Amino acid sequence: MSTESHDHHPTPAQYWKIAAFLAVLTAIEVSLFYIDHALELGVFNSVALISLSAIKFVVVVGWFMHVRFERPLISRFFTAGFILACALYLVVLSALGVVAIRG
Amino acid sequence: MSELAHDASSAGAEEVAVADHHDEHESTGIDNRKLGMWVFLSSEFLFFGALITNYLLYSNRPGFAGIYPAEIYDIPFTSVSSFVLLMSSLTMVLAHNALSRGDQNGSRTWLFATAALGAVFLGGQVFEFTEFIVEYGMTLSTNPAASAFYVLTGFHGTHVAIGVIMLLSLWGISRRQGGLSEKHGMNLELVGLYWHFVDIIWIVIFTVVYLLSVPIQ
Amino acid sequence: MTATAARPNTTIFRRPKSTTGIWGWITTVDHKKIGIMYGYAAFTFFIIGGVEALLLRIQLASANSEFLTAGAYNALFTMHGTTMIFLFVMPVSAAFMNYMLPLMIGARDVAFPRLNALSWWIFFFGGIFLYSTFIFGTSVPPVAPDGVNFGNLAAGGGPGSFNFLASSPDGGWFGYQPNAGPLYSPGTAMDYWALGLQILGLASLVSSVNFIVTVFNMRAKGMRLLRMPVFAWMSTVVAFLLLFSLPIIAVALFMVTFDRQFGTLFFAPTGGGDPILWQHLFWLFGHPEVYILILPAMGIVSEILPVFSRKPLFGYSAVVFAGAAIAFLGFGVWAHHMFASGITPVAQAAFGLATMTIAIPTGIKIFNWMGTMWGGRLRFSTPMLFAVGFLAMFTIGGLSGVTHSVVPSDWQQTDTYYIVAHFHYVLFGGAVFGIFGGLYYWFPKLTGRVMNERLGKTHFWLQFIGFNLTFAPMHWLGLQGMVRRTWKYAPEAGLQTWNVAVTVGAFVIALSILIFMINWWRSRRYGEPSGLDPWDARTVEWTIPNPTPEYNFATPPVVTSLDHFWHLKYTEDENGRAVRRPEAEELVAYLEDDGLNPKSPIHLPAPSYFPFFMALGIPLIFYGIIYHTTAWGKALIAIGVVISLSSVIGWGIEPLEELDDHDEDHAGFEDDMDLDEELELVEVDDE
Repeated sequence: MSTESHDHHPTPAQYWKIAAFLAVLTAIEVSLFYIDHALELGVFNSVALISLSAIKFVVVVGWFMHVRFERPLISRFFTAGFILACALYLVVLSALGVVAIRG
Repeated sequence: MSELAHDASSAGAEEVAVADHHDEHESTGIDNRKLGMWVFLSSEFLFFGALITNYLLYSNRPGFAGIYPAEIYDIPFTSVSSFVLLMSSLTMVLAHNALSRGDQNGSRTWLFATAALGAVFLGGQVFEFTEFIVEYGMTLSTNPAASAFYVLTGFHGTHVAIGVIMLLSLWGISRRQGGLSEKHGMNLELVGLYWHFVDIIWIVIFTVVYLLSVPIQ
Repeated sequence: MTATAARPNTTIFRRPKSTTGIWGWITTVDHKKIGIMYGYAAFTFFIIGGVEALLLRIQLASANSEFLTAGAYNALFTMHGTTMIFLFVMPVSAAFMNYMLPLMIGARDVAFPRLNALSWWIFFFGGIFLYSTFIFGTSVPPVAPDGVNFGNLAAGGGPGSFNFLASSPDGGWFGYQPNAGPLYSPGTAMDYWALGLQILGLASLVSSVNFIVTVFNMRAKGMRLLRMPVFAWMSTVVAFLLLFSLPIIAVALFMVTFDRQFGTLFFAPTGGGDPILWQHLFWLFGHPEVYILILPAMGIVSEILPVFSRKPLFGYSAVVFAGAAIAFLGFGVWAHHMFASGITPVAQAAFGLATMTIAIPTGIKIFNWMGTMWGGRLRFSTPMLFAVGFLAMFTIGGLSGVTHSVVPSDWQQTDTYYIVAHFHYVLFGGAVFGIFGGLYYWFPKLTGRVMNERLGKTHFWLQFIGFNLTFAPMHWLGLQGMVRRTWKYAPEAGLQTWNVAVTVGAFVIALSILIFMINWWRSRRYGEPSGLDPWDARTVEWTIPNPTPEYNFATPPVVTSLDHFWHLKYTEDENGRAVRRPEAEELVAYLEDDGLNPKSPIHLPAPSYFPFFMALGIPLIFYGIIYHTTAWGKALIAIGVVISLSSVIGWGIEPLEELDDHDEDHAGFEDDMDLDEELELVEVDDE
């Protein structure tokens, strides 16, 4: 479609850099796993791992899937599905006693 | 109706063909198929979300008979296969990028590389399952945690396998026709979106299922 | 088809040519034909589900009745619920969406015509698959290792004379675990149920993607989102509900199938599984499903009321946003189906409150509909009667729904006939009344004729009386303690009188449906010709001739306002009252003539074999899964995969249109702009 904006797409070199960044994040994730086993980081470990995977998620969606360069409608649909899934299943897990909600 | 339409059509045979439905403007400016793929992918979050929820419910529940998946994860091995899948996203965008620059050969090569990396990931999963079943005796029916693990990663693997088939089909079309037409170029973009989606699901699974699973004491 | 030249063979098969006869229907990708097929299939299932209900009512008409065995009773109420929800209301809504949505937004077809045919055929085969359980399925009572019967089914189906249908799914339409699991429901019947719903869900998922893209991408010029008719809006909302809720039930049904077929332990308490997980997953889907069933009817009613009140819909945008709000809130209330399942007090309070908030957007809609009628010049034609019937009955059902949100009250009502009364008031009194209103209202679009008014009114009043006679007493029976799904009740329970009334009411409904069918068949041939605009309608779908030409719009419309057609016909006098423009008749005649005589050939998507064959492979695979331990089960899977995959390949090779050759020559619509120009002139007059 001519209506799509292919203007701001990253170049192959930039794609390689992004991939390298993702690889580094993965390496940090795996090392955290072992560091945690040695040092018992507890909550910090979970928070760090979840944040790292969230960054990877956003990078792949934003750059590899081009969402950053698309019309906002697409990211609205996609975000809606993601947020809905997270919200619903968090409630299910808390109702089933897996995720504790203090109150 | 159709007679009338037919008369009209033969009467105006030399007239310009207008308005088959592809000509109608796409109100959002997004190609129909692409929008459809995004809409479909957004629903897949709910699909995998249910499977991950299922796993999280059972993975640490105490008191099951038999071995828990978290006890036998091979983190170095899974890290490597996660890395392979992550890098297949790179080769996927490179294939798309090459095609958009008109580089049919480069695009075809990257397509094949993507499919190959996907196949390596699948091979790793087959190896992992085999090891778990044969060496540790953890089957679908060992306990709900094992069931949940196999069904979650199995459905993800099925998605990867479908992706590999689609990639290889595109690769085959490109080889036979000496390149991908504009229509198939859109197909490449759609397969790419699907492929990256499968990758981000694995990013979540790798962290939530593998790295964050606390081994049962 | 207006194809003018044969395309060189690029496909495995020759392109299907005939647009008539059986192959014409099988290969069609026309959204109208697909809609008609959806409609007839759904109505057939409505009759089947209705007969099942009548059998249940015969059993309950007298205390200690021995008409059905317990096994047959379980099977019939399970199939009645499953049929009415998945095989009647959902597909009949899909029929309306298929037929009306493209017309209402001024499109020639949906975004993916072949995908549309695919979802219809998947639905069709899914329905057949589910019902084939009556032939192939087995439902045997569970037996413990010591040989003692246990579980929900009495040995031999229990006492009773009629056991013929007992070998079908008997776990209820929501298939609660572990009752519907492998231990308590051995045999294959519940596999047919789980996999049948899986197929039907796939069909709906495909069509939801299709409709969303259609609405976002295929609207006519000037058809802004907030100029879409409310039915188009409600269809969109329903498509999103389907999109986000079906994956959940897909996972849940896969888990059941894995439990039953491959020995997983998700819902088996004996192996550590958690049956409550099933309830969460099921109702995560099941509550949005409720709005999937009712919102299309709300859309239909929102179309009918303004036309027959000769007033614009009161608070159009409020009605639209209320519909979206109902859908959004509908995702957050699922656990109110589980108040009696031991969820925590916090969860009960939260879900109770969330449920109450749904009354707000629903109330907005009801008041807006009443506001639409207020001060209007009402015409009580049959569609209007059904719309008003909807309004009244749905309000009663909605109010009894609010009583369920009060948790202690809900504990009292759970699993009693009070619940049965409630959901029949919203689904029959609501959805089904709306659907019949829509059938009467849009019948001219199918046939070019209107349905007989006298029979229509007879149908309405009989159905209205029969409906209330059937379902109002259920409130009282429920509050007296008659439990739901009970096969028998004792004479001394004092339930007999109202049960007789209920059964009589059910037969009155059946009579009214019979009258409807007679009316439908007669009116198709002998009904009064409708002309272009039988109801003095307001929306774009009535600007084209009846029956709808194959290409829908000879000239693509340019929409200038909400209630586009009305504004073409009417203007306001100095007191703000609507007055018919003097040129209105001329305009209608022009539209009729223009709609039948396209000025240039219109190329429609060509018919295709592949959707049919791709869908055909799917039930074969699912049959194979049920019998996967046998060699022929594996063979069925293989055959199904081969059929579906080769259809996918053929589909991929086949071009959508027969003629792509003029792609560069598209000149746009400039040559056909005369109507549009005329419309713009009319609009200028208006200013």
